[in-house]
Amino acid sequence: MTNNLDAYLEDIGHYLAVGPAREEILSEIRSHILEKAEEERARSGEAALERVIAGFGPPRRVAERYLEGREIIAPAYQRHLFRYTSILFGFHFLFTLIGVIFGRSFVLFPVLFVPRMGVIEALLYLPAAFLTDLGFVALILYFVTQSKKDIKLPWPKFGLEADDIKLPRKPGALAATLAGLTFMLALTAAAVYIFTRHGTVFIAGLASSGEIKPLFTAEAGRSLSLIVIALLAAGAVSLFLKLFTRSRWIDVGSDAVSLILFGLILRRPFDGLFAVPISGQALSGIRIGLAAALLFIVLMTAIDLIKNLVMIGRGALVRRPPERGTPA
Amino acid sequence: MTETELGSLETEMNRGFLQILVLALLEKDRYGYSMIKHIEGLGYKIEENTLYPLLRRLEKNGWIAGRWTLGEDRPRKFYGITAEGRTMKAGLLAVWKNQNRILEEIEKENEHDQ
Repeated sequence: MTNNLDAYLEDIGHYLAVGPAREEILSEIRSHILEKAEEERARSGEAALERVIAGFGPPRRVAERYLEGREIIAPAYQRHLFRYTSILFGFHFLFTLIGVIFGRSFVLFPVLFVPRMGVIEALLYLPAAFLTDLGFVALILYFVTQSKKDIKLPWPKFGLEADDIKLPRKPGALAATLAGLTFMLALTAAAVYIFTRHGTVFIAGLASSGEIKPLFTAEAGRSLSLIVIALLAAGAVSLFLKLFTRSRWIDVGSDAVSLILFGLILRRPFDGLFAVPISGQALSGIRIGLAAALLFIVLMTAIDLIKNLVMIGRGALVRRPPERGTPA
Repeated sequence: MTETELGSLETEMNRGFLQILVLALLEKDRYGYSMIKHIEGLGYKIEENTLYPLLRRLEKNGWIAGRWTLGEDRPRKFYGITAEGRTMKAGLLAVWKNQNRILEEIEKENEHDQ
């Protein structure tokens, strides 16, 4: 019979991060449960132990009552976690972008290390950089919390307050999403139709024979067309899901997919891309213009991704339950 | 006001009350289960998973002291109030009595106005 009690106490011990006091706490709970069960057994038989264990509460809940007041980060500093992480990651992102464009690395020990890397490596590097920044800020706030001092940390404001941002819930929002979805589906269908007929969606014009003139070379045209179709399809899927839920995870997923696809576009070599003749000077201008436009879109998408992750993180912070006692 | 809302407010009020209650009870040495039964006998109920963590916090603050005894068939941890805890209890009781006095006076004023 005490096997159940041992398993129950083991579960509480699993959640009880209190160091050497753990064994004493568990002994006291064991003593209480056994004494109460012995009294109950006289009245209600052998199932008493299970009933007393159930009455004591779920193991995690019991353990958490002992941990109240032992915050890793005090509630007063929890809002700083994502605000400071956003700022630090903003610098991280900026230096990564500069590093990719100019082929340079940056070191500012211990908060910043941006190695020299390409676009794909940068896209893989940034999520890891975000987690590192989050951990670094959490560590600082942990030390501030443990100092038990009333340290007034600065609260930088940049325009729109994160707490004030709410997902749109206007009456016409659903209709607008539906219209957007219809448009996006039509665009995707048109792109797929053109691609299946001509092997590309990038058309420079019509030849005298009536055949189309592709803008890009065959292989580049095919791969870039597939990426554009995937971007359109991702947008359509995102809008479709938004008909049913306003979860920010949809935006996070959509932004992540878009960043990967833009990364694939940026990764392509520019030389030998066009199938139509373009002068060297014009080609150079187009190259800079396209790279700038793509990097701007990537920057905006990354900012949106970070904003949504910050919002999700802030929403995950929960309030502590109070102590309980009631008239019998 | 719904029962849930009342229960929620009561839970908030209990935070301080439970500390005074435990400090007052431990003028005599007791262990957890005996305290729960005693409190139930007085027409009040304190949840087990609230009492034991509270005892631990009070002990950590130095307001009560615990000791294990092996006198009977199983070990039990008895608690008793310390001198520091007695000072704290006196302070808390003074606050509680003052709050009661204020509420009673306001109630009297209200009755008089009606």
